[in-house]
Amino acid sequence: MIEGVKVIDFHGHVGRWDLYGMKDDPALMLHAMDQAGIDISCLFQIFHPDGTTGNNLAARFIAQHPDRFVGFAYVSPTMPDRMVPELARAIDELHFVAIKLYPPYTPWEFNRPEWHPIYQFAHERKLAVIFHTDHLRQNRPRFLQEIAPLYPAANFVAGHSGNVPEARAEAIAAAQAHPNVYLETCSTFRTPGVIEQLVNEAGADRVLFGSDVPLMDPRPQLGKIITAAISDEAKRLVLGGNAQRLLKL
Amino acid sequence: MHSLHFTARVPVFDANVRVGDLYDEPAPWRDRAGLLAEMDRHGVGRALIYHAQAETLSPLEGNGYLQEWLGADGRLEPQWLVMPTDDSLAQIQALHRQGQVRSVRLFDCKVVGLPFRPWAYGELLTWLSEQRIPLWIPLPDANLDELITTLQAYPNLVTVLVGAHYSHALWVRPLLQTLPNSYLELSRYEPIGEFEALCDRFGAKRLIYGSWYWRYAMGPMLFYLHHTRLRDDELALICAGNLERILQGEGRHD
Repeated sequence: MIEGVKVIDFHGHVGRWDLYGMKDDPALMLHAMDQAGIDISCLFQIFHPDGTTGNNLAARFIAQHPDRFVGFAYVSPTMPDRMVPELARAIDELHFVAIKLYPPYTPWEFNRPEWHPIYQFAHERKLAVIFHTDHLRQNRPRFLQEIAPLYPAANFVAGHSGNVPEARAEAIAAAQAHPNVYLETCSTFRTPGVIEQLVNEAGADRVLFGSDVPLMDPRPQLGKIITAAISDEAKRLVLGGNAQRLLKL
Repeated sequence: MHSLHFTARVPVFDANVRVGDLYDEPAPWRDRAGLLAEMDRHGVGRALIYHAQAETLSPLEGNGYLQEWLGADGRLEPQWLVMPTDDSLAQIQALHRQGQVRSVRLFDCKVVGLPFRPWAYGELLTWLSEQRIPLWIPLPDANLDELITTLQAYPNLVTVLVGAHYSHALWVRPLLQTLPNSYLELSRYEPIGEFEALCDRFGAKRLIYGSWYWRYAMGPMLFYLHHTRLRDDELALICAGNLERILQGEGRHD
């Protein structure tokens, strides 16, 4: 909690990636969260294309600290028959609260028809969907311009807000054009002025704090928001207010 | 009690600040006053600065642009880029004779295939060792085996390894283990819990705060350092004490 704001980290992982020091140790994660005032981390497991295996791993991880972690469901169009049934299971039985999609682990741009059954599900259930976005072929934030108006009851989140200037501009443009597009802040590129740009150009009510924990420690990512030259009210929305509204937490 | 606002609670001497425009990207602050205002916003008292043009195009020419940034108040201290050529070394030696060299930074020559080997860098590394001038080495440009084998041949040289990223997670411990006179600068190092783990393993005396502003925002890593279980005396070493000692030629641990 930071000055009465329930701080929600919208972007986190379950799973290890040992080449990069990514350790999904709950003690490490909770320590980092506690040191900085992060109340809740949203977690997903993206390393299994069937969805079921990773979602079950995430559920077991989250069950260790259900007051501090919440789950997002992961599915992949590389196993299309499993997508919607697994989403329904993850939401209804595992009580996950949103959907994470990772286009780099597929051959398809995320505006392609292969993805649309997921968006239809999110629309029917009024769920948020967070994508990895960047400048590469499958991951362009400009695709949000096509899908957001087709599924107005779903909310779409550009993870990393496109990560680099050209893709960031696409993400901002999508948020400006569509009320159901949001921008999430985590990035290893901690370029000066980016948080200010997102807030000033898309609006503080459309920006979500995220960290990529445990690939990255959440503390410097939180520090990007705290040390940005934006108003206290904007910080309150970015750190938790928007996520609380989106996830109905 | 956590706050929506942050400023450093210990003296801060930023070990890694770039000034000036890149050829393809203007700096957010294009003068000394703007940089000082940004430092004030985060509670940063002093900064070690180098020029963007010296990093990317020409150490000889780029170093010359640094003078206008320095001022008389001592808040901005120069760091000179150097490469293994006669004219670059001569420039640094001339500045040294004027008492202006307390550290240098390695210019990336790997991009044109020159490896970091003693046969290429020996004269430079020997002179730096003799003069007790510490060398900043950017890790994004480095080869791990060359780094370790070459620096082991110059055991008296103090080095600051700059810009380790999570993609260097498997490098960091071997580097600190095999090079006792090396320090790790922290501007990009984000694997979870690693500030505290490295402090436990090697001691706060081996770590240095740098922001790598304006490549990166100035505040986030300083915020991170202030939200760990490190003691304030350890924090003070990382944020300023170690750097001050290194610049005085007293950085050796062996």
